[in-house]
Amino acid sequence: MTMVFDEAFDVVVIGGGHAGCEAASASARIGARTALVTLNLDLIGQMSCNPAIGGIAKGHLVREIDALGGIMGRVADRTGIQFRLLNRSRGPAVQSPRAQADRALYRAEMRKVLEETPNLDLRQGMVVDLLIAKGRIEGVEMHDGRRIAAKAVVIAAGTFLNGLIHTGKRTYTAGRAGEPASIELAESLKRLGFPVGRLKTGTPPRIDGRTIDWSAFQPQSADERPVPFSFSTDKIIQPQIQCFVGYTTPDLHERIRTNLSESPLYSGQIKGVGPRYCPSIEDKVVKFAEKDRHQLFLEPEGHDTNEVYLNGFSTSLPAALQQDLVRMIPGLAETRIIRPGYAIEYDFVDPRVLGPDLQCRRLPGLFHAGQVNGTTGYEEAACQGLLAGINAGLLITGRPMFRLRREESYIGVLVDDLIRHGVDEPYRIFTSRAEYRLALRYDNADQRLSHYGKELQLVGESDWERFNQRRDRIAAVKKALRETRLRRSDATYAAVAAELGCALGDSITLEELAQRPSVSSSLVKRLLAPVLGSTVELTDVESAFADSLYSGYIRMQEAAIQRLHHNDSTPIPQHLDFRKLDGLSHEMIERLERCRPTTVGDARRISGITPAALSTLYVAASTDG
Amino acid sequence: MDTIVAIATSAGRSAIGVVRFSGPDCRGILQRLLQNPSFDPEPRKLFLKEILRGSGETLDSALVSYFEAPHSFTGEDMLEISCHGSPLILRNLLDLAQSFGARLAGPGEFTLRACRHGKMNLAQAEAVRDLINAQTAAASSQALRQLKGELSHTLQPTRELLIEIIVRLESALEFVEDDLPEVEAATLERKMRKAETEIKKLAATFATGRALRDGINVAIVGTPNAGKSSVFNRLVGRDRAIVTEDAGTTRDTISESITLCGIPISLTDTAGIRAASGRIEQLGVERSYRAAADADLLVVMLDGSKELTPDDEAVLAEAATSKHVVAVNKADLDQRYDKSELPSAAPVVHISAVTGAGLDELTAAILQPFGSVDSDAAGLLITDSRHFDLLRRTEMSLKGSRDLLLEGAGEEIVLVGLHNALRFLGEITGETTSDDILGEIFSTFCIGK
Repeated sequence: MTMVFDEAFDVVVIGGGHAGCEAASASARIGARTALVTLNLDLIGQMSCNPAIGGIAKGHLVREIDALGGIMGRVADRTGIQFRLLNRSRGPAVQSPRAQADRALYRAEMRKVLEETPNLDLRQGMVVDLLIAKGRIEGVEMHDGRRIAAKAVVIAAGTFLNGLIHTGKRTYTAGRAGEPASIELAESLKRLGFPVGRLKTGTPPRIDGRTIDWSAFQPQSADERPVPFSFSTDKIIQPQIQCFVGYTTPDLHERIRTNLSESPLYSGQIKGVGPRYCPSIEDKVVKFAEKDRHQLFLEPEGHDTNEVYLNGFSTSLPAALQQDLVRMIPGLAETRIIRPGYAIEYDFVDPRVLGPDLQCRRLPGLFHAGQVNGTTGYEEAACQGLLAGINAGLLITGRPMFRLRREESYIGVLVDDLIRHGVDEPYRIFTSRAEYRLALRYDNADQRLSHYGKELQLVGESDWERFNQRRDRIAAVKKALRETRLRRSDATYAAVAAELGCALGDSITLEELAQRPSVSSSLVKRLLAPVLGSTVELTDVESAFADSLYSGYIRMQEAAIQRLHHNDSTPIPQHLDFRKLDGLSHEMIERLERCRPTTVGDARRISGITPAALSTLYVAASTDG
Repeated sequence: MDTIVAIATSAGRSAIGVVRFSGPDCRGILQRLLQNPSFDPEPRKLFLKEILRGSGETLDSALVSYFEAPHSFTGEDMLEISCHGSPLILRNLLDLAQSFGARLAGPGEFTLRACRHGKMNLAQAEAVRDLINAQTAAASSQALRQLKGELSHTLQPTRELLIEIIVRLESALEFVEDDLPEVEAATLERKMRKAETEIKKLAATFATGRALRDGINVAIVGTPNAGKSSVFNRLVGRDRAIVTEDAGTTRDTISESITLCGIPISLTDTAGIRAASGRIEQLGVERSYRAAADADLLVVMLDGSKELTPDDEAVLAEAATSKHVVAVNKADLDQRYDKSELPSAAPVVHISAVTGAGLDELTAAILQPFGSVDSDAAGLLITDSRHFDLLRRTEMSLKGSRDLLLEGAGEEIVLVGLHNALRFLGEITGETTSDDILGEIFSTFCIGK
C-alpha cells in the first residue's frame, strides 16, 4: 500500500530549537529540500533556560559550529548584549567566549536567517508519528492528519518528548512552560523499539526588574573589546548591558531545608536524573550544607523587557514558596516573580543507537540531535543539529557521511562520548572531556575546521577568502616568530628581561620566548611590531603564539596517549563471551557486559576496568578470529 | 613495530633459560650481544656463542638460533638464546638487550604478534588462548599476582592525592564563574611533591626487589694479597681461584654462581688493585674496576694484619659510592688496626679465610642491604620492570608539572603532566576517566549557576 502525502521534502527536521535550526539550515544549504516542522513558529530559536550562549568549552563549540558554516555564532553576535571572554587571564586553550543574548532578538534573528535560506520551508504543527516502510524512513505524520514525505528525518524535539513539568506537588504535561508536550512522538519512538530513558532539568524564576534594588548587587560589565563568536563578525552592534552578582543567605537556606518535603526532587516525585553541574537551589543547600551563601546572577533578558533571569536559583518548589524565598535574597525584598521556576522531566533516546554521523544505525535516514540524545545546553544541541543536518543533506545528495574526530574538535569529543558511552545524566561539554584540550582552542577553530565547511559548501566564498587571509597572516607571524631574535644588543632586551625576571641568554628567538610560561601574546606582538608592522591583528598573533606555547606539551601528551592507546583499535568480536574468559572477575564481567565495548579502546574507557582485565580482553580479542 | 624480548622459560632456577626476541632488530641485537657486527646467522641453525657483557667479559655461553620472517612463530624475525638457567644471567641478558633497544614484551605479546601476522588460524584459537594463559600463569605466579593487587592498593593514596590536585586545577579552569575557593599554588606544590616522593620511594625499592628475585652481582675487590681469592674459594665452596702467597696472583676476573640463603649470587673475584707493575696486571686491574662497576654490592677486602695502605684507602674511596661491606681478613693473625680507624660507614666484618671464622657474618652482611625494606612501603617491593618503568615515568611527569607550576605556567599546561602521570599510574591501578574526575569535582565543589 502506498502512502498518500500532502507534501514532499527531502529532509524533515522536527523541532525549531537550537539543534533543529542548525539542522534545517545545513541540510537546505547542502542541497536537500528541507522542511522545519515546529509547534510554534513564533518560538523558533527560543532559549528555554538562561539567555546566554557560550561559556567554557561551550564557546569552543559555537566557534566550531561557525567554522563549519553553522549559524549560531552569527545570530548570537547580532543579538548579544553582554560579551565576555571567560578565563581571559588564563592560557589561550581554556579561554572561551560567552554572551548574554536578548532573548526576543535572538528568536527574531534566527527566524530571519532561516526564512532567508533557499531550499528551506517552515511548517507549524506537531509531528505525532514517523512513517516507515521497508525499514526506511518515508516521512512524518502531523496531529492534524497532514503527512509530509521525507527521505531523511532529524528528530530535534528537545525536552518536549513526554515532557512533564513539576512545581511543588503539581505536575502537568508540557514541553516548556506554556507549550504542549509531544506525547505521541515519544510513544512512536518507544514503539519502534528505541531504548528510552528519563532525564530532568530545571530553570529558575524570572523576576520583574522594576522591583529589584540593583544597588544591593555587584555589577558585572561586558568586555571593552568584545570577542565575537563568528569568524565573520567584524563588530558587535548591540549596546552592551551589565549583569549583577548577589548571594543567598543562611536564613534562606534554612527556609528551604524546612520545606524540602514540598520539593518534588526530595519527595521522590521526580524520577529523572538531573545534571550535577546545574543543581537546583534545593540541591545546593542540601549537598553543600556547609556553604553559608550561594552565588546568584541577575541577567536581564533583553533591551526591551523588564524580565530578569535569576541565574543560580533553579527550583521546583511550589510557586508561592518561590516568591517568599526570592524575597529573602538581599536586594530582592520587594521583588515579584513573573514566571516561576520549574523542573521538567523528559524522555531521551539512548544515543548509543547512533553512529558518528548521528544517524540511527537500525533505521537509515533517521537522525537524532540535541536533548533527545541526553545532552543539555544550546551549544551542545546546536552542534549536533549541524552534524545531523549535514549528514541528512549528504544522504540525500548521495555523498559519504561526515564525521568529526576527538583529536580535531570538541564536537567530535561530544559525539564520540555520546555514541560510545551513552549518558546517565544530562551531558554537558567540559574542556576536561577533551584529551587534546591544548590543540582544540576557540581561536583556532577556523584553522581546524573551516576546510570541512568549505568542502561541504556551508562556508561561502567571501568567508573562505577571509579565512585564507587569516591563515596566511598567522603563517607570516609564525615565520617571524621563528626568525626574529631578541639580542642582548637590542634596545628592548633589558626591558624584556626585567619584565620577565629571568635570564634570556645572548639571544633568543621570539618563538622560544613565547614558550616561556610567563610571556604574554601582547608582549610578543610588541616585539614583532617592527617586523610585521600593522599588517596583522592581535588575534593572529594570539593564534600563532598559542601554537608555539603549546607545541611541546601537545607532543608530550600525544606520546603518552599513543603509548597507552596503541591497542585501542583492536575490535572486540560481537560474539565474545566475557564469562568464558579466564582471569576476569565478576565485577569486570558485569562492567563489560553492561557496556558491550566494540573495541579495546572502548573497554579501556569504561570506568573501573583494571589493566589486568584489559590485557585479558585484548589477548582474547586478538586471538579470537 | 619494535623488537620485544622476554624470558620464555619459567621464573626461578632451571637447567636452561630461554630468552626470546621478536621484531625487525633481532639480527642487529644479536650482533651487539656477540660484539660481532659481521655475524650473519644462518636461519634455523643452532650456534654455540659467547654472549658478552658491555665490558667484554663473557656473560654466558649460549645456544643461539635465529629465525627469519616470515618463517618464525610470530612471523617476524626472531631470536632465541638458550642460556644457563640462572635468573641472574637471564636478567643480565635482558638488561643488555634493552640497552640495545629491545623492549620488554607485555603478557602474551609474542602470541599476539603471531596472530597479527596470520601465523595462527581459527582452529588454533582455543589452544592458543590456553597456551597464553599457561604462559601468563607461569610468568606471574600466585605470589606475583597478589603483589599486583597489593601494589595497586599501595598506590591508591597517591592516586587519590593526584586526583585531588587535578580536581583543584580542573575546576579552576572549568568553573570560572562559580564561587570556588582560590587555588593556592604553595599548597598544590606541596601536594605534588608529596605524591612525587611517594612514587619515588616505591620506585626505589626496585633495585632491592629485583635483586631479591633475580639475584645479586657481588664483586670482591681490594689490594693485592688481601685474601680475596681465598675468601672467594671459601664462599664458592671449592678451590676455584688459584691462591698463592705472591701478591697479584689473580690477573683476571672470575665469576661463579652461588646461592646464599636461597638467593642467587653471581660472585666475582677480581685482580688486586694497585699502581700496577706490569701490562698484564694493568689489564687485570682495569677489569676489576669494570666488574666493580657492574656489581650490585662490593666486598672490600682488607688485610687486618697490615697497616692500611694508600692503595687500600683508594679502594675504599672508590667503593664509597656503591653498596659495599668491608671484610677485614686474616683475623687469625695479629690485628694492626681496629675498625674505628676505617674511613667507611659500611658494615665491617672480621673474617679468616684460613679458619672460616666470620664467614656467616659476611654472608649476612652481603644480604643485609637487600633484605632491609623501607617500612613506609609496608614491605612492598617493586620487582617488575614494567611497574618500575611506569613509576619512573609517573615521577618524571609529576616533577615536570611541579617545575612548571613553580615557573608560573598556566593550569592547562601544568595539567598535561598530571594527567600523564595519572595515565601511567592507571596502567597499574586502572584508568581514571574524565567522568571520574568530573564526578570528583561535582562532589567537592558546589558547581553550577
